[in-house]
Amino acid sequence: MFIHNFKYSLKVLFRNKSLIFWTFIFPILLGTFFHMAFKDIENNETFHAFDIAVVNSPYYENNTIFKKAINEASKESDNKLFNVKVVNKKDASKMLENKEITGYLEFSNSDVNIIINDNGIYETILKFFVDEVNSNKKIIENTVNEEISKGNLDYQMVISNVMEKLNETVEFKNISRSNLSYTMIEYYTLIAMAALYGGAISMYIINKNMPNMSSVGKRNSTAPIPKSTLLLSGLLASLVVQITGLILLFIYTIFILKIDYNSNIWLIALLAVVGSLAGLSLGCIIGTILKTNENAKSGILIAVTMFLSFLSGMMGITMKYVIDKNIPILNMINPAAMITDGFYALYYYGFESRYIFNILSLIVFSLIMLLISSISLRRQKYDSI
Amino acid sequence: MKKIIEVKNLSKSYKNLKAIDDLSFDVYEGEILGLLGPNGSGKSTTINSILNLLEFEKGTIKIFGKIMKPDAYDIKRDIGVIFQEVAVFEELTVYENIDYFCGLYVSDKLLRKSYVEDAINLVGLKEFTKFYPKQLSGGLLRRLNIACGIAHKPKLIFLDEPTVAVDPQSRNNILDGIKKLRDDGATIVYTTHYMEEVEMICDRIIILDKGKILAEGTTDELKSLAKLEEKITLEVKKISSKVVDEIKTFKTVDSVIQNGNNLVITYKKGKDNLGELTSFLHSKKVTYSKIFSERPTLNDVFLELTGKDLRD
Ligand SMILES: Nc1ncnc2c1ncn2[C@@H]1O[C@H](COP(=O)(O)OP(=O)(O)OP(=O)(O)O)[C@@H](O)[C@H]1O
Ligand SMILES: [Mg+2]
Repeated sequence: MFIHNFKYSLKVLFRNKSLIFWTFIFPILLGTFFHMAFKDIENNETFHAFDIAVVNSPYYENNTIFKKAINEASKESDNKLFNVKVVNKKDASKMLENKEITGYLEFSNSDVNIIINDNGIYETILKFFVDEVNSNKKIIENTVNEEISKGNLDYQMVISNVMEKLNETVEFKNISRSNLSYTMIEYYTLIAMAALYGGAISMYIINKNMPNMSSVGKRNSTAPIPKSTLLLSGLLASLVVQITGLILLFIYTIFILKIDYNSNIWLIALLAVVGSLAGLSLGCIIGTILKTNENAKSGILIAVTMFLSFLSGMMGITMKYVIDKNIPILNMINPAAMITDGFYALYYYGFESRYIFNILSLIVFSLIMLLISSISLRRQKYDSI
Repeated sequence: MKKIIEVKNLSKSYKNLKAIDDLSFDVYEGEILGLLGPNGSGKSTTINSILNLLEFEKGTIKIFGKIMKPDAYDIKRDIGVIFQEVAVFEELTVYENIDYFCGLYVSDKLLRKSYVEDAINLVGLKEFTKFYPKQLSGGLLRRLNIACGIAHKPKLIFLDEPTVAVDPQSRNNILDGIKKLRDDGATIVYTTHYMEEVEMICDRIIILDKGKILAEGTTDELKSLAKLEEKITLEVKKISSKVVDEIKTFKTVDSVIQNGNNLVITYKKGKDNLGELTSFLHSKKVTYSKIFSERPTLNDVFLELTGKDLRD
């Protein structure tokens, strides 16, 4: 009986065009839209010149290669990387504190120190610039000694190397794991949204088993089978369909849009499965506790999902920051934020406490929703059908 | 006779509206019981209460001699329901729909296959097994709805207005199918507001109005309940009001209604009324172009009992 209902539920769900649109096609369309929209934004962001400082010292003055490289990179041109000020150490650290500069460089006898406060995109550019100059410097040192004294370095080459690497976001991220491309968060919220849209699928199953929601629900309620058997097999089928949708979305974003989730695929899969479970439970709760018709419920589910995704940063990462900072509780109970933050944590820190915390939060959220749903689903007779 | 359903003192309200008011009746093995009543009389509410889908304030329901409960799966196993609304999956074909619902009762695949085929043959959907519900006409869809409810060969079948909005061909197919189910041993509760259907297939009839039983019995029993026994319709060229008044004084005449050149005369007793009337008209030199006599229909009975038309 369980398998009979499971098999037919799969058939019904996979053939339902509107469900398939919202849970399979719509996220892919939205992802494509993001891709087109953010490609330009991303590029603009990377080419924006930022402010840095260099601590005034004899080491700097004598480091011809760096001195020239810095001058070249701050020269007014299309390739300008940053604006530079040469100041004393006290001023430099004050400027950094006041966020007037992204960071400053301090030269010692043999080395150069990069002092920064944050881990944003500009900090990484700065680090990369220093790395690039250093490695070029070494090559020259190893080959033609005299060149160094003349300070003969192909500066344009250095800068164009930096730019090139910046444009290849994939490469760029590998250089510094601590840098997260702005747009990545959008794809995370997209996956969160797709996972929660999966709620429409479980809601469909719920509706088809409640006599007050659909005529098929009436028929199913007259069958000699416990409602729990019908619901569990149906919901299992709904989870399978949801996960299929997410797999498609991953395949599309990874292979077509070339998004790099930069993590262990199994940890991503775990997050997606737990996210789907959260979506399923969201569909169950909206399906059971709202006393309205099927279409209104679907509308509400979509609206709620959109809103939760918005809070977790879908229409701009600022929203997530604002909420994380001011009303953190909101994103702690928001499944979309848990999914988004899970990916975020995975990207930043890998399999560590923040990721695990999000996974556990999602499980707790799902269990609470399912528990409340099952209490109201237990009801056997209805006042009106 | 064995009682299959026993309904005692059933009452059900929707908020302020009393949909069923202290209803009691029995359904006997092997019969087709017609629940006849106008829109809103409580037919569907009665069925849904018997099935325990609806919460009701008062009353007891026994099916197959046992108290009906939502989890009385042994009872439910032998029941088939055809709801008033079509209840099928849009995403499944005709065959799949029947197989799905049948599968909730019959696990054995081989047995189920033959059951599903029987159901398809009964409702005549053989050429449409691969069709989706959207591709079916109204009549065919109703037939699919029935097939989904009876494929598991239930002993007790509820049919709630299975022929609404169905053309005469499909209707006859459906009615024949229902009779066949009864002949195969099923007990059937059939609701409708079409009197002809009830007269055609029901062994016994309950007339419902406003959640109450107005009358109960076979077609003939119900008709004998009526005060009037005969109705004569007369189309005359010309008739004086004096003559009409004279007809009204006939011993067996109940009422005379004149509508222009048409007269409808109803009789309390029904012997030789037509002969008496024609010779009287001859003697008064009244010529008529048409005259015919009818036995009262269920509609007349209903009209008499409630003062309103059954089809309103
Ligand atoms: N869910 C409901 N909520 C409120 N009132 C209802 C509900 N369902 C039915 N009613 C009312 O209860 C009464 C009986 O309705 P019911 O559907 O049982 O009648 P019916 O005889 O089946 O009518 P029909 O021939 O139209 O199917 C009607 O007055 C109807 O308006
Ligand atoms: Mg009805």
